[in-house]
Amino acid sequence: MTSSAFSRWWRNLSDGVISTARGMRITLRTFLRKPVTVQYPDEKPDLGGRYRGIHYLEQDLCIYCDACAKACPVDCIEMDATRHGKELEWHAFTLDYNRCMLCELCVYPCPKDCIHQGEEYALVTEDREDMVRDLLTWKGLTEEQKQKVAEVEALKAQRAAGGGE
Amino acid sequence: MDGNFISHLLSASLPPGFPFWGLALLAAFLGALCVVGFVSILALVSVWLERKIAGHIQARLGPMRTGGWHGWSQTLADAIKLLTKEDVILRGADPVLFRLAPALVMGSALAMFAVLPFAPGVQFADIDLGVYFLLAVASLTTIGVIMAGWGSNNKWSLYGAMREAAQATSYEIPLALSLIPPILHFGTFSLLSATEQQSGWGGMQWYIFSDAFWVAIPSFFLFFTAALAENKRAPFDLPESESELVAGFHTEYSGLRFAFFFLEEYAAMFAASAVATAYWLGGWNFPGMTFLSTGSLWLPILGALAFLLKAMFLVCVMIWIRWTLPRLRIDQVMTLGWKYLTPLALGIMVAAAGWEAWRASL
Ligand code: SF4
Ligand code: SF4
Repeated sequence: MTSSAFSRWWRNLSDGVISTARGMRITLRTFLRKPVTVQYPDEKPDLGGRYRGIHYLEQDLCIYCDACAKACPVDCIEMDATRHGKELEWHAFTLDYNRCMLCELCVYPCPKDCIHQGEEYALVTEDREDMVRDLLTWKGLTEEQKQKVAEVEALKAQRAAGGGE
Repeated sequence: MDGNFISHLLSASLPPGFPFWGLALLAAFLGALCVVGFVSILALVSVWLERKIAGHIQARLGPMRTGGWHGWSQTLADAIKLLTKEDVILRGADPVLFRLAPALVMGSALAMFAVLPFAPGVQFADIDLGVYFLLAVASLTTIGVIMAGWGSNNKWSLYGAMREAAQATSYEIPLALSLIPPILHFGTFSLLSATEQQSGWGGMQWYIFSDAFWVAIPSFFLFFTAALAENKRAPFDLPESESELVAGFHTEYSGLRFAFFFLEEYAAMFAASAVATAYWLGGWNFPGMTFLSTGSLWLPILGALAFLLKAMFLVCVMIWIRWTLPRLRIDQVMTLGWKYLTPLALGIMVAAAGWEAWRASL
């Protein structure tokens, strides 16, 4: 064996040993770290405040202007109400999640800013008909959700003012 | 009377005049039951450990639900599932080899446990050629794997079996050579007497701490690497290599026969770790054991605990390596075996022989 062949052999060996030790150090470090798993049905992941989930409608503010339904590219919003002077009597405001692609295009044109996309995402049913949600059943934000909205709004304002990143 | 603790126990409790052959048969039967029970529990624990360690190495949790506390009974559930599965034998399979292979593999794995010294007085058979027996029986597994691969009548299985044959024959050489330094140091093939010789210094005169530590440590690493390859553990799991060969030699096995191959893997891992423990890491000796009197009942209990802890630690290291290193190519496996491990093992053997000869001449 020539000396260069021997030195190559030796380098290969030490490289192998060192890289194995390095790899094992990395896996050991991950092993000692806290796992990132979220135990899903028991815990919910943090969606970060800007998630486009299932819609909710603040029906007291809504003026039955149809702007959201017109904006929807796949025509999944249907509404029906009777006007009694200034009062509105709602019959239906449904959103068909068979077709909805959660694109948020219906949210922007609303003049009263009363249709929103929430954080609920688990749309699982056994029947296709159940995918047509009645948005009139919405009962308002919980305290926790209100706080979250306030936080997100504050962050937006801060960004608009040139702060943040 | 010569024999193990079971035959001692039996001869004390059976009526006098009981024929010797009956005693021997009964002791063998009870011993086999003990080994099978021990190996099953061992496999349940190690598979659970493997899953948990794999999970945490990947920043996951591993099984968490079955049984409540950290999914402790996941493997139990899997075992029940395996036992209730249909046992499929392909039409083209060799009926004899296909059936014989899992039995041979499992039998050789169980036979390895006969010579392991678990604790003072707890060993099934202390034969003079203990390690020799162990190596011989361990290589029976290879034959079983080749039988499984051939008998399955499946090209993937056959590939896996051929790889196992190539790999096992190559790595048996460094495996056996790296055992020579401790054998020379203790002057014995018997695991029991090697363990007993490491009980000095209050139970800390282990081979890796002895004056020959400079050959002990490299030979330990060589043995460990060769044992990984011999047991088909990653990064040497080419006979199985699920990404290319489906599951290699046990592709066509299902149910209990598959479970046998599975059990064998964990049993062989433990056996290899146990040999490393007995020869390099002091076996059942633990620091402070000299404070216990020789007849004390605590000695076997704590000794077995120390032995199991050391061996299980090595099993965990094997698992850790599996989830760290990617699988090698077959030519890389061969290169490592023939060009690196074998010359290194030979060199260390010569160094150890010189050292022991020099020490003996003093
Ligand atoms: S999110 Fe998009 S698809 Fe869904 S209702 Fe609104 S506009 Fe239509
Ligand atoms: S755009 Fe807004 S106000 Fe108009 S109908 Fe839709 S939700 Fe109501």
